[in-house]
Amino acid sequence: MNGQYSALQFLSVFLVIATLFAIGPLIAAKLWASYFSPQKTGPIKNAAYECGVEATGDAWQQFRSEYYLYAIVFLIFDVETVFLMPFAVAFGKLTIGAFLAIAVFVLLLVEGLVWAWAKGVLEWK
Amino acid sequence: MEMMSTNGSTDEGLKSELGRQGIVVSSFNEIYNWGRRNSVWPMQFGLACCAIEMIATTMSRFDLARFGAEVFRPSPRQADLMIVSGTVTKKMAPQVVRLYNQMAEPKYVIAMGACAISGGPFKQGYNVLKGIDRYIPVDVHIPGCPPRPEALIHAFMTLQRQIDAQVLTGVARPRHLNASAPSEFPIPEFGDHDLLPSHNREVWKAPPGRSAGEPSE
Amino acid sequence: MEGTTGSIGRRTFGMTNVQAIREQILAALPKSNIELVENDSPCGQHSLLVEAKDLLGVARFAKSPTGLGFDYCSNVTGVDVVDRIETSRRKEKRIVDGEETEIERVEETRIPGWLEVVYHLYSMRDRKGPLILRARTGDRLEDVALPSLTPVWRSCELQEREVYDLYGVVFTGHPDLRRLLMWDDFKDHPMRKDYVEPDDYDYEPTPHNAVLDRLQARKG
Repeated sequence: MNGQYSALQFLSVFLVIATLFAIGPLIAAKLWASYFSPQKTGPIKNAAYECGVEATGDAWQQFRSEYYLYAIVFLIFDVETVFLMPFAVAFGKLTIGAFLAIAVFVLLLVEGLVWAWAKGVLEWK
Repeated sequence: MEMMSTNGSTDEGLKSELGRQGIVVSSFNEIYNWGRRNSVWPMQFGLACCAIEMIATTMSRFDLARFGAEVFRPSPRQADLMIVSGTVTKKMAPQVVRLYNQMAEPKYVIAMGACAISGGPFKQGYNVLKGIDRYIPVDVHIPGCPPRPEALIHAFMTLQRQIDAQVLTGVARPRHLNASAPSEFPIPEFGDHDLLPSHNREVWKAPPGRSAGEPSE
Repeated sequence: MEGTTGSIGRRTFGMTNVQAIREQILAALPKSNIELVENDSPCGQHSLLVEAKDLLGVARFAKSPTGLGFDYCSNVTGVDVVDRIETSRRKEKRIVDGEETEIERVEETRIPGWLEVVYHLYSMRDRKGPLILRARTGDRLEDVALPSLTPVWRSCELQEREVYDLYGVVFTGHPDLRRLLMWDDFKDHPMRKDYVEPDDYDYEPTPHNAVLDRLQARKG
């Protein structure tokens, strides 16, 4: 046999087999389902799942802008924690300059919080 | 030899003989039922104190995962089994029936505990449904107040045996293979004095001569 | 007659104490109408029956730190007292066919029942309680309104809703008087004595066969 097969030809055979391997079971399942298990749909089954309660209204609704202020205030604490954790771990080895730097950072965030507090953001109306 | 029997009538003697020789013979029916019975995913919801026992059953000591029920699905779309664990109040009954309706076929129901099967100690109360089997078809009833985790496991194994005995074709085929069998059951409505109707006549029949109540339309 | 339960820091009120509290309230609110209801049982929890029109004022006085200082309302419950029929027999002389005969006439008068709401009050500050306040509605079929004490003790809100749901007492001034346990369209009040439960049970023998009796009565 003098025919030479290139590697690409082998690859194409594998590609076809791999594709069939992936799609075959899906086709088999689909055939099985169409033959054995009948489609059973209904208005209740197709209704939106709301923990058993009938869904009312529309999912597209406006949220109060206070939520975004809350998110921003949450971010203050969140970012603060990210920096405070390594700060606390390395506290004993810090130089005075590093300590001042982080203190300024924390104070800036605290100032933001105080500002938000004074603006009444923390009060839920 | 029937290799591809759909009604499960393989020759048991021949099968065990071949099994001794290292050849496994099976039928479509068996493989199908084996697969279904070992991957029954319950729906994750509890109604009352029985739910605590249900939770205990899934934890490491009793380990319901051994039976293929390890994944409690938080959505009815992915669940096969509804474990009605606890008192079904009349206010809750429509929600339970709606959840059952939203489950995909095949679906099974285990009524767990005295309340779920009959109303239990609250049977003569004003706000407790006297058994969830008044509205949806129940496959396994477990008595107990609450049933021990072993009882729930026993109910689960009973359900597995029921699934194992199902045949795929013929008159006795299970509901999910029968196009004319219903998949949705009517949801009761809140009436002035009681749920309307008080039971689903297709599903539940009062013992003869024992009930004064007929469903009021 | 100081009633003590034995546990430290917890005092229930004996007769003299409740009487003293009653006089304290009367001194502050001289126009109010308060009656002492005795309890003969071993627990001896005597209570004060307040007229509905005075209830809110008495409650405010009971809560205020300068008054009685009962800052916590732990329990609200209802009582249904059904109508009573009183029969009186009266002999009457009447002339029938020219002869004078004596006829006994039976007269039935309906003494209307009422609904009652009971509040159990505690003082966290002074570690004492419970002081029990009661209030009655008028005729339980017609006049079922009582002032709500939710503006005084916030903890009454859900419990008053429950009393409204199960007994049908309408609390005026309640911020959110909806049914709590039953659904909104439910018409009855299940804890009332004349509640007729829906006919959805199937017969099962009970120790007293009450269910069977009811079944027979309803069929017959």
